[in-house]
Amino acid sequence: MSIISAKKIKYAYPRKDDEGNETEPFVALDGVSLEANEGEFITILGHNGSGKSTFAKHLNALLVPDEGSVFIDGMDTSEDDYTLKIRETAGMVFQNPDNQMVSSVVDEEVGFGPENIGVPTEEIWKRVESALNAVGMYAYKESNPGRLSGGQKQRVAIASVLAMNPKCIVLDEPTAMLDPGGRKDVLDVLHDLNKRNGVTVILITHNMEEVTASDRVFVMDKGRVVMNGTPEEIFSRVEEMKSLRLDVPKVTILAHELKKSGLPLKDGILTSEELVREIMSLRI
Amino acid sequence: MFRDITLGQYYPEQSIIHRLDPRVKLLGTLVYIITLFIGKSFFVYIPAAVFLVMIIALSRVPVSYVMRGVKPIIPLIIISAAFNIILTPGNDIVSFGIIHITSEGIYMAIFMAVRLFFLITGSSILTLTTTPTALTDGLEKGLRFLIIFKVPVHEIAMMMSIALRFIPILIEETDKIRKAQMARGADFESGNIMKRAKAMIPLLVPLFVSAFRRASDLAMAMEARCYHGSQGRTRMKPLVYKRLDFIAYGIIGAYLATVIIMRACGL
Repeated sequence: MSIISAKKIKYAYPRKDDEGNETEPFVALDGVSLEANEGEFITILGHNGSGKSTFAKHLNALLVPDEGSVFIDGMDTSEDDYTLKIRETAGMVFQNPDNQMVSSVVDEEVGFGPENIGVPTEEIWKRVESALNAVGMYAYKESNPGRLSGGQKQRVAIASVLAMNPKCIVLDEPTAMLDPGGRKDVLDVLHDLNKRNGVTVILITHNMEEVTASDRVFVMDKGRVVMNGTPEEIFSRVEEMKSLRLDVPKVTILAHELKKSGLPLKDGILTSEELVREIMSLRI
Repeated sequence: MFRDITLGQYYPEQSIIHRLDPRVKLLGTLVYIITLFIGKSFFVYIPAAVFLVMIIALSRVPVSYVMRGVKPIIPLIIISAAFNIILTPGNDIVSFGIIHITSEGIYMAIFMAVRLFFLITGSSILTLTTTPTALTDGLEKGLRFLIIFKVPVHEIAMMMSIALRFIPILIEETDKIRKAQMARGADFESGNIMKRAKAMIPLLVPLFVSAFRRASDLAMAMEARCYHGSQGRTRMKPLVYKRLDFIAYGIIGAYLATVIIMRACGL
């Protein structure tokens, strides 16, 4: 069964001019459809202003579509009665780690979500412990989140969502403010959760390197999904990606150029190992 | 300059004071402040000093760290002392024109300065040894009775704890903006007070804008984590009085009694 089912959703932000009169609303989503099955690792790619963050907020019932519908685990996001249940099912991690932390102690921070949904005290402690262990931050449970590095903060933010036992985690550019080391830690945690605990991950990003290991990729532009498929399928369309002002991993470009100049390589090579293997197997 | 502010900061440590119920600490602080204002002479500071030294020692917060919280208040203490010296009537010691320095004035100035010092140190111990969340919980539970008067106790407590959480972040941000403006030639150091106050505008405007942006981000993040007020909320660290808390109440009571008796005896 699909855990996320978005059907032709449209959403526009109302706009006002300097005098406060309503003007033409800004259309952020223009008929986006997306289905995700349980246990999938999905990346949504797009440059700034493509509507990807707006879409993410629809998955958590922070925004409700003007047209179309979003179902999370069978629950309609436009029904107020489901709002809390939906937010419990689909947790959300935001870009700025400082702005999403409520507490000054890591374990209290992770306990905030379970407290809100009325989990009994002993159960909260168990959840906090297992969530912090899952992201490898248990040793810091009594630290002040302000003193942690960006990557550590973001892992705490992931733990805070995990403590609510979600089936799905939506991450809105979680690595945009991190250094390469922190970025790698966060991605490793996400892949680990996805493989070991079967949590569905929706990762929103504009960093190509984060896309390669995902099951499926959706590319957004101007409020629409313009491409979707496996990373191999997406990156084999190098020219199209370039026209959308999106980067392609360097290895893929190299493979693409080699192919253009005559080497019979396959499309959508994503890692250097793969490229080496392909070249070695060529008989020239 | 901004990084020295320890007001409202938590100092992580495993001490008896840290483990006390926040309600005990809140009441203790309140009692302590009241006793400072009961006394009419320096004698009242003896039990207050004993009480304070005992608490700081038990809390294991380094004295230097506590004193850092007092530093920003020093100008305030000096100003109040100056006014006390000048404005208290009594026997002149020295006088220049309309300014009369009296012995009563000097006495009052020292008396008030000591009082302010005790006040700030004592109340900073509360925040140094209590996490904002515990403080919020304590306030919320201790002031629960105000709900009959339709006071939104939970919401106020929540706002307070978030404000405390964001103090260091905003301080860091102020420092950053300051440096950015200085890099573009802003001058915060020279000129008279008016000029310096004016120089603060390019510092405060971006700070406010960013504070609002953070507030809206945080509100969304809280909503995303199912925050919906106090309704149906459980506690990770529920407040339950333990033996230690009753002993502490006893000590606070004994301290208050001592001060009241001293006052009754005219000290």
